[in-house]
Amino acid sequence: MSTRLPGPQRRDSIVQAASRLFADKGFHGVSIDDIAREVDVSPAILYRHFASKQELYDTVLLELACQRESYVEAVTNSGTSFEDVLAGMTRIYIDSIKQNPDLLRIELQSLLEGSSATRDFFDNRWKSFADYIEFGLNERLPYDLQNREITILSASLMFQGMVREALIQKFLQPHDRLEDVDLDELSHELVRLFLRAVGINKSRISRKAVITA
Amino acid sequence: MSDFDSELDASGLNCPLPILRAKKAIAALDNGQTLKIIATDPGSVKDFEAFCKQTGNTLLSSGEEDGKFLFMIQKAA
Repeated sequence: MSTRLPGPQRRDSIVQAASRLFADKGFHGVSIDDIAREVDVSPAILYRHFASKQELYDTVLLELACQRESYVEAVTNSGTSFEDVLAGMTRIYIDSIKQNPDLLRIELQSLLEGSSATRDFFDNRWKSFADYIEFGLNERLPYDLQNREITILSASLMFQGMVREALIQKFLQPHDRLEDVDLDELSHELVRLFLRAVGINKSRISRKAVITA
Repeated sequence: MSDFDSELDASGLNCPLPILRAKKAIAALDNGQTLKIIATDPGSVKDFEAFCKQTGNTLLSSGEEDGKFLFMIQKAA
């Protein structure tokens, strides 16, 4: 028999268990009975908190999609140069996925399902990078550059794609090649290559910008 | 709102841009002078609290007005 928990606490434990199961098996691979068993309550108790599996799934999506990272340390721990702050932000983001790979799993699932949470994932998880890169490059690139707007947008997409793919390889399908790759080095190298691609040839990013977990 | 020496409008910007711009604006102030910041990112409330804690600057006030977040930060002496 499960321990009696106050309502809000019980609700949280249901959301957390559901989040793990949905991340592993997707919406269709999990039943209400599976979740109830995981939390050690009866399905009737679960239905007291959520009217349906869909409602519980939507709650999980929204909760993860609205989780924001604070990049204050990326600004206070290093210089204020475009490259140092970007390196610090990237390290913080990578750490957040290391702590909770389900954030990435559920984001990818919501994308494939065409869920409206995809927009929340972008607004809360990626927009910081998009804004930062687009503002930064807007200030740096020559104004007479051909196709300036699309160049800036492409650079921002390139960064997001590059970081996301590295995270998928590293945390969602551990690959032999990446098993021993150090996260600091990976983060540092991704940012360095990106900077080179957009024409910011700074060979040394302040090591302080790479925040150790 | 009381007097301020410089103003920064960070409306429409997500973390860390408001913080970064504030850090640069504060660097240009003399010790004891005040920066007023306007932001729209709800995360900025916690972010500016953390920023002041980490930098030693004083968060004189933090509030919301017409859907915008207003902060007054005094540069540490």
